[in-house]
Amino acid sequence: MFIINCPFCGERDQSEFKAGGEAHIIRPKQPTELSDDEWAEYLFMRKNIKGVQFERWNHIHGCRKWFNVVRNTSNDEIKAVYKMGEKPPSY
Amino acid sequence: MLNYSQTLTEQISVQDLQMKEVKPIMKLIVRGKKREFISAVGKSLNILLPTESNTSTQSDKLTAVWLSPDEWMIYSNEPVDENTNNYETEELLNNNISKLNLGAITDVTDQFVMINLKGNKIYELFQAGSPFNFNNFQNKKGAVTQTILNKIDIIVHNQDKNLVNLFVRRSFSQHLFSWMNDAASRL
Repeated sequence: MFIINCPFCGERDQSEFKAGGEAHIIRPKQPTELSDDEWAEYLFMRKNIKGVQFERWNHIHGCRKWFNVVRNTSNDEIKAVYKMGEKPPSY
Repeated sequence: MLNYSQTLTEQISVQDLQMKEVKPIMKLIVRGKKREFISAVGKSLNILLPTESNTSTQSDKLTAVWLSPDEWMIYSNEPVDENTNNYETEELLNNNISKLNLGAITDVTDQFVMINLKGNKIYELFQAGSPFNFNNFQNKKGAVTQTILNKIDIIVHNQDKNLVNLFVRRSFSQHLFSWMNDAASRL
């Protein structure tokens, strides 16, 4: 259990949030031109890092807004929280 | 409110804690992002939508509650007429907001049930089933939060010391109310 600092509401318990997977995955502009392998790569393959990972989270039981979290997956330490569309910090 | 069937018919009084449904209260969700939207709502209703998170504003007739950066709930301070489903406030906002494409207005009068809590053990009751830290919240008049109580989504509005309005979705209201009754008896 850990606390996430929602960029809109402030510090809240993790149970108010929903994890939305890896962040900054860009949808291919022309999906019809991709091979099945390339499409599967975009759709299913995730890095699943042990360490610092960039993730999307949704404050589902609060303001219902999406935002990004930089989290260390091995100890749940949250390094940074930033809004959608903002430049990711470097880690 | 026409044909309104009350979900919570009893009033609970346990250990200096009173809880009851207040009805019918008009509730509207207003959504919009533009600056013109906020000023249009302000001009129409004579109430400023709070832009600071977790706060609320109040006029003689209405209370505006911050829900998210582009979403607010407006509710009437007093119960409205039981014999109609039309509200002057909603009509005014429909004409000044929806029809001008500034934002969206949704009537959620029937969707949410407002429970009024009185007494000095309100936050002890909330602590029994909510992950939210109410320490600063309870001393801040007008503070608002959306959180979970007994795994049910709620909106809490701290009206005054020992006076709280709680909004819960209608279908969850009976279950939450009976949980609150049970939890209050164990405080």
